[in-house]
Amino acid sequence: MTAQNGAVSSQSSLDVIRLTGELDIGRRDEIKRALEPKRSTGPILVDLSEVTYADSTVIAGLVRLRNDAEEQGRRLALLIGDARLARLLQYAGLAGAFAVYDDRATALTYLSGVSS
Amino acid sequence: MTEHSELRVNRNTADAETPAQLRHALAAFLNAIDIEPSLRDDIIIAVGEAIANAVEHAYETQEPGRVELHASTDADNTLLVDVYDRGAFIDREAREGRGLGLRIVRAIARAVSIDTEGGTRIRMVFDAALRQAQADERRARDELAAAQSDGAAT
Repeated sequence: MTAQNGAVSSQSSLDVIRLTGELDIGRRDEIKRALEPKRSTGPILVDLSEVTYADSTVIAGLVRLRNDAEEQGRRLALLIGDARLARLLQYAGLAGAFAVYDDRATALTYLSGVSS
Repeated sequence: MTEHSELRVNRNTADAETPAQLRHALAAFLNAIDIEPSLRDDIIIAVGEAIANAVEHAYETQEPGRVELHASTDADNTLLVDVYDRGAFIDREAREGRGLGLRIVRAIARAVSIDTEGGTRIRMVFDAALRQAQADERRARDELAAAQSDGAAT
């Protein structure tokens, strides 16, 4: 566990949601709070680069966040550092449902397509 | 590599650390029987979903109870994992955005069965043949074959 579990921060118009550590149903309230749609207008970066385990609690939250972002015309990108998380999306049948990046700069370039 | 190995552990669903503790126990068991790492990680993902299912419906319908994890290997390199609780089975597939857990389990396990008699038992069967030593042996064989193929091509 880290000291920044579920930390959320904003950078100008970009919403950054950062989750770390092992994310499972035991932390479902924290996960749900972190992934709640924010009432802002910028693109959203979900930084999961320091997540070492996730279950479908996270996937369900990401799906809700993505649906809300789509309704608002906002781009959303996932930053994933662990191959296990990418495989989790694949097994859930959602490999193509998200813009997934393994480096922050490329993710921000994708997200800037809307915010610029 | 064909000896019988077994893990049996249970925890209370009310404890937020229960899913992680059960996963960590399973990871230690899989390491001890020398399962190939990527297969080990996939098994942990699948079993983690079964644990999440147990924890979630136990919280929703009644007082939190025990969730049990039982893993065992057979002589034919089959790994059998049961996740069992005494709560009522909830059909999460009928809910918006849910049903993902069982989909993930089915994508990874060779076979899955759900018994809801007197509780919920999710039984998962995995092909554990890809143990580390065998994976190493196969990799060495593949590299040798590739080297021989390269030699034949030149």
